[in-house]
Amino acid sequence: MVHFFCALPCEANPLIQQFKLTELKQFDLFRLYQSKDKQFTLTITGIGKLNAASAVSYQHACLDTKASDIWLNIGVAGHANLDIGEVRLINKITDGQDNTSWYPQIIFDSPCKQASLITLDKPSNDYQETLFDMEASGFYQMATRLGMAELIHCLKIISDNAQQPTHTVNAESVKKLIAAQTETIETIAELLVSQASEMESINAVPSHYAAFVERWHFTQTEQIQLLRLLRQWTVRFPDKDVIASVIKLKTGKTILNTLQNDLNKTAFSIY
Amino acid sequence: MINTIYIEEEIAKHPRTLAILERFPDASKITCERYGEIFNRKAQNFRLQKKQPALILARKHKGRVLPSPKQYAIGAEHNYYFSHMLNCLYDCRYCFLQGMFQSAHYVLFINYEDFIDELKSISDQHINEPVHFFSGYDCDSLALDPVTDFSNTFLPFFETEPNALLELRTKSTQIRALLKREPIKNCVIAFSFTPDKIAKALEHKAPSIDKRLNAIQDLQQAGWQIGLRFDPLIYTDEYQRDYLELFETIFSRIKPELTHSVSLGSFRLPRDYFRKLEKLYPDEMLFASPQAEENNNIGYPKDIREEMLGFCKDIITQHIPGNRFFPCHEMI
Repeated sequence: MVHFFCALPCEANPLIQQFKLTELKQFDLFRLYQSKDKQFTLTITGIGKLNAASAVSYQHACLDTKASDIWLNIGVAGHANLDIGEVRLINKITDGQDNTSWYPQIIFDSPCKQASLITLDKPSNDYQETLFDMEASGFYQMATRLGMAELIHCLKIISDNAQQPTHTVNAESVKKLIAAQTETIETIAELLVSQASEMESINAVPSHYAAFVERWHFTQTEQIQLLRLLRQWTVRFPDKDVIASVIKLKTGKTILNTLQNDLNKTAFSIY
Repeated sequence: MINTIYIEEEIAKHPRTLAILERFPDASKITCERYGEIFNRKAQNFRLQKKQPALILARKHKGRVLPSPKQYAIGAEHNYYFSHMLNCLYDCRYCFLQGMFQSAHYVLFINYEDFIDELKSISDQHINEPVHFFSGYDCDSLALDPVTDFSNTFLPFFETEPNALLELRTKSTQIRALLKREPIKNCVIAFSFTPDKIAKALEHKAPSIDKRLNAIQDLQQAGWQIGLRFDPLIYTDEYQRDYLELFETIFSRIKPELTHSVSLGSFRLPRDYFRKLEKLYPDEMLFASPQAEENNNIGYPKDIREEMLGFCKDIITQHIPGNRFFPCHEMI
C-alpha cells in the first residue's frame, strides 16, 4: 500500500483525483482517503510537524498498515532560488528547532533531482540554499517507527522563493503546482512498490503455519521455531506435503524435532 | 556505481575526501555530522540497501586497531585487526556483515594516518616479537583499492616494521597497485575461496574463482606472498567432490612453496546474526542447511563439521607443510 500525507486540502486534491480516492467518513480526527482497491491512501495532516506525526500515527492505527508499506509526504516548500514548480526528492531532513537530521534512503534512480530540507515551526521568507517546509521532520520521524527507511520519502514542489515569497502563494496555485507533478509522484510510487513487494514476499508466513498452530499446541517460543522450520522446509522441499510427514505426531515439540531432523538428515545441495 | 556519498562535516575538506569526491562528480553529496546517523539507524533494510549502497566518508575516532580472536591466528602470538572500511562491494550470502550492520552502505574511514599511528604504537609494544595485523574482517581489503588508495598508503608503513605482518584478506582482482610496486616481505595477500558452483550460488558480484586464481598467479610471479582461506567451508552432499576439484585446481595453478599460509573453518555465525540473515533471505537455501546451535553460534551439526574439516585438512596438507596450515578451532 502507498500512503500519501499532505498538509493541506489544496496539496491533496490533485492526488485524490489522480488516484481516484474517496473519503473514509468513519475516521474524523484527520481526513483519510482510500482507493477502491485499497492500494492507495491519503491523509490530510494539517500544518506543522506535530500534526504530521500525529496523522501518520492515526492513519497507521486506523488502516492497520504494514512495515512493507510506502509512506510519502507530498507538499510544497520554499527555497532561495529554485524556480517555482521545481520538484525535489528529499535526501536530508533537518528539524529547525533541535537540528536533528534524518537521511531518507534513496535506493532507486530518482526521476527528479534531490535536495536537503529544513522543517521550520513557522513560515519563513528568510530563504536559504535548502528547502523549507513545516511537516517533513514530524512525518519522517513517526513513519520510520512504523516502516522501512527505504520506503519512506518526502517529495516537495517549490511554491515560493526569494523573488516570489510566501504571500504570493494561494490554494489555487498550490493545486496547480502539485497537479503538474503527479507523473513524477506516480513514478516514485511505482519504483517503491516493486521494492515493497520484495519485502512483502520475504515476510510472508508459510502457507501451512496456521494449520499447524490450529491442530497442535505450540508455546510462543515454539511458534517462532515452527515458523522458521516451515520456511526452511518450503525452501528445501517445495513439493513435499509437510503436514503429511508429521500427521501422526502428538506434540508440538516432537513435530519441531522431526522437522529439524528431516532438514539435517536429508540430501542437501545449494546449487 | 556509487550514486550517493555522505560526508562527515569534520573531514569534508580532508585531501583524501576531496580526491575521492572528484572520482564521483555525478553522485549526490550529502553532509552529516557523524556517520552513525545514517549507518546505525534502525528501520533500515540491508537487503534493499544492498541494491544501491551509498558511500559514507567518515573519521574513525577510536577502536581503530583491535585484538583479533586467537582462533584466527596464522602463526603469531600477538594478533590484531583493523578496518579502514565497513561493508563490502560483494554480496556473499554467508557473510556475517549482513547480520552485524544495520546498513549496507560502505563506510570509508579516511583518517589513515591515525590508523597508522595506532598500528605503529602496537607494533612498538611487540618490538622483538612477531605481531600480525589483519585487514579484511569488516570489508574486502582490496575491492575498492583504486578509490581508497588503501594499499598505497599502508604498505609503505608496514615496509618499515619488520616485526609486523599485514594480511590483506580479499576476493578481489584489484591488484594493480600491488603489481606496480616492489613486493614487501611482511605482507600476505590472502584470497578466500569456495568451490566454483558454490561461489556462483552464494558469492554474488565477486570475481570468479578463475579470475582470483589469475590474480594469485600474477602476484606470485611478482614475488608477493599469498594466503589461501577456505573459510567458510560450505556443506553440500557433494562437498567432497567439489572441494577436491577446488583444491586440485588451486594447487595446480599456484606455487604451493610460495604460499604463506592456508586456513579453513566451517560455516558458522553468531546466533543473532544467523537469525537476522535468515529473515533477510528466507528463500536462501544456505539458511535451510543442516544446522545446530552451540554456544550461541549456529553452524553445521558436529558430525558434518568434523568430517568436512578432516577431509579438507587431509588434502590441503598433501600440498602444504603442516606448519603453514591453520584450521580455525572455534566450537562451531
